Amino acid sequence: MSLYLDTDTWLHHLHPVVRLLGMLALFVAAFVVERPAWQAPVLLPLAALLWWSGGWRNVRRLRWLFGLAFVMTLLVWTLFYGPDGRPPLWAWGPIHISQTAPRFALGMALKLQIFLAAGILFLSVTRIEEFAYALTRLGLPYAFGFTMTLAFRLVPVFVESAVTVLQAQRCRGLDLEHGGPWQRLRRTVPVMVPVFMGALRRADQMAMALEARGFQSRQVRTILDAWPARGGDVLAALALFGLVAAYLALWWQGVLHIAP
Amino acid sequence: MSPLAEPAAALRGVTFTYRGAATPALRDVSLRIGRGEVVLLMGASGAGKSTLARCLNRTIPQFLPGILTGSVVVAGSDVGGATVADLAGVVGLVSQDFEAQLFSTSVRHEVAFGMEQLGVPRPEMARRLAAALAVVGLAGFDRRDPVTLSGGEKQRLAIAALLAQEPALLVLDEPTTDLDPAGKSEIFAVLATLRRRGASVLLIEHETGAAEFADRLVLMQEGRVVADGAPAALLPDVVRLEALGVRPLDGDRLGAALGWRTRAASVEDAAARLRPLMRPRALADAAPAAPAPLPLCGAAPRVPIGTARRDVVQAGQGGWRPPDGAEVLVRVAGLRHAYAPDRAALDGVSLEIRRGDFVALIGRNGSGKTTLAKCLNGLLVPQRGRVDVRGRALRDLTLAEVAADVGYVFQNPDQQIFAASAYDEVAFAPRNAGLAEDEVARRVQRVLAAVGLDDCGPGDPFLLGKGERQRLAVASLLALEPALLILDEPTTGLDYAEQRRMMHRLAALHAGGLTLVIITHTPWVVAEYAQRGVVLSEGRVVFDGPLRALLAEEALLASARFRLPDCTRIGRALGLTPLSVDELLVAVSPGGAA
Repeated sequence: MSLYLDTDTWLHHLHPVVRLLGMLALFVAAFVVERPAWQAPVLLPLAALLWWSGGWRNVRRLRWLFGLAFVMTLLVWTLFYGPDGRPPLWAWGPIHISQTAPRFALGMALKLQIFLAAGILFLSVTRIEEFAYALTRLGLPYAFGFTMTLAFRLVPVFVESAVTVLQAQRCRGLDLEHGGPWQRLRRTVPVMVPVFMGALRRADQMAMALEARGFQSRQVRTILDAWPARGGDVLAALALFGLVAAYLALWWQGVLHIAP
Repeated sequence: MSPLAEPAAALRGVTFTYRGAATPALRDVSLRIGRGEVVLLMGASGAGKSTLARCLNRTIPQFLPGILTGSVVVAGSDVGGATVADLAGVVGLVSQDFEAQLFSTSVRHEVAFGMEQLGVPRPEMARRLAAALAVVGLAGFDRRDPVTLSGGEKQRLAIAALLAQEPALLVLDEPTTDLDPAGKSEIFAVLATLRRRGASVLLIEHETGAAEFADRLVLMQEGRVVADGAPAALLPDVVRLEALGVRPLDGDRLGAALGWRTRAASVEDAAARLRPLMRPRALADAAPAAPAPLPLCGAAPRVPIGTARRDVVQAGQGGWRPPDGAEVLVRVAGLRHAYAPDRAALDGVSLEIRRGDFVALIGRNGSGKTTLAKCLNGLLVPQRGRVDVRGRALRDLTLAEVAADVGYVFQNPDQQIFAASAYDEVAFAPRNAGLAEDEVARRVQRVLAAVGLDDCGPGDPFLLGKGERQRLAVASLLALEPALLILDEPTTGLDYAEQRRMMHRLAALHAGGLTLVIITHTPWVVAEYAQRGVVLSEGRVVFDGPLRALLAEEALLASARFRLPDCTRIGRALGLTPLSVDELLVAVSPGGAA
């Protein structure tokens, strides 16, 4: 379930803060773009980095998510973009596909693909401990960073538990596939109760285990891995800064907008 | 260091009552754990063992509030007023749930986690990390993701993480409960290393075999320490151990029955003492007999010494199997299933389960046992092969239709219990099946009685003990009146008395006509209750036959990491394959002394 790839690419060796800022920079650059062509300068290097770091394997693993997100975004924005003041490409009842809609929808779909891909690239080359470290270096309290990253660890555990509970109840004839919405909702109680009880128990045990390992002790924390900033980190940070600055400037000038 | 020096820990007059409880969980407990001593703490569930352990690191009363009196001293300091985090470098507490103790994405980060919290300098951290991993046998695992480790490896990692904090006292609270035999052996090997290195350890266990690694044995009952001494002095008192809910060792049971003045030092020693006592006929007839159908069901026959014949030992319950004409409840042919393309969880599995079978499904973790069991009742659809339930293709049946014939009890009852009363919990399945309420009531009463929970109907199921919740889970499947019940690890996490209770109930249900398949790692449960053994290895069936014949296949069982019960090992040294101590005693003359 974890996306982290334990390999030794130069991306893995970048300072965790730079990796986190890199992901945020890609988010910002993609976010301000409406015109599909301008997504390419972000998308192509991102694809290259995914290929280089091995993160492409995770993209393949989650290709259904990429496909679904792309198709749904394209469909929804094409259908609901609304009139652009020009004759529509196609109209039927309340549905109105303007001339701008397909291009805008494509831009939005590519934007979402970049968000997903950038997130996957980050998680492919960053351990959760490094993520927590980066958050603390950016000024967030350690407890906050640790708790957030712990959530990443617990999601698969809870999903697994929910699947087991569902199987156990199906063995006793639980049927969630028939009946009206209210009936179905009521029938989820035999699944929800054991899942939540189990989650509470697990949280309780984890809290005890964490304190027994000194979490929140009064000592000054040390860290296992040293992360001195190196030349490569500075160069990468400058490149990211340049990327964001360029895209913000283009956005300010209106180059990235789709004119109706 | 001598145990007489300043102790690693000492409790004086400790009494603790959980908030809302009517009676204390600990009553005036005084206990001393010497430096470099390994103390084994045993007793039935609810005796107060875990409560005592939690008082040592202040989990009680910080997380589990109540009234605590008396004093707890660890490494020379009274810990009253300290927090759990304050004591992180003083007391290391490992619990049975290793999943809840691991938080990191690599072994080295996991071991370093506690040291980071305690502010250990980086060079010192590296030294301790290497040392701790070496002690638990995980050197070279530094970069592995804990998720990819086996159960035994995870538990060893949890121990390493605490060892790296260099505590004065290590407390291991049932560390082997959720492990298979291979995992248990790994933990006991770590324990042997710790003992050699002079660590101070308090070990809480249900496995009496752990006494081998302990300097002292402490027995608890109803919150009190009732015995404290050398294991060799306490273990021969088998009557007392049974009364305290502790399973005596087979060698000690033999010794008690035959009046041995000294304990057998090993399996070989016990066999050597028994050899002169063997009945002449038994010795002459030492070759394994062909399995003969004997209608023995349930627990192994408890035959008084000297009243039975050796042929019973060879062809008793473990040689029984349903007649060839018995109805085939489940037929599996050419089953193949893979979770990953490069490794099949099941590969060409074919077998039949006939009415009246009592099958033990055995194999290492990952051998395909649970995958096979889930294919038998449709929870998993195999990628290739065919499963027929009572002559009908499983793929043509709904899960509800299958459930009426094949019940599946999951390992952890807490993954299904949800109702406000035990009655409603059991009534859930028959109500889903659309039965009338009077029929539901009849079935619920019947199955609650069958599992020994007659009086629990109106009660809250969440307030029942673990063993009772496990039996409630069995009852909730029995209410559908299936012909076949599959149980995944039905005795895991239970103390000896509850394990016995559970297995006696299952044996009685089997005697009443229920066909059973159990997945288990517990040797004596397999030997004393099952009649047929099916061994899986890497997704293939490598043995399918009468249980006694299986227990004679020592090499095969060793490769499946299944440890024979001691009584069977002693019997094998004498050319017999007994399934229980009672059976072994049948083969010898009474009154012999050694």
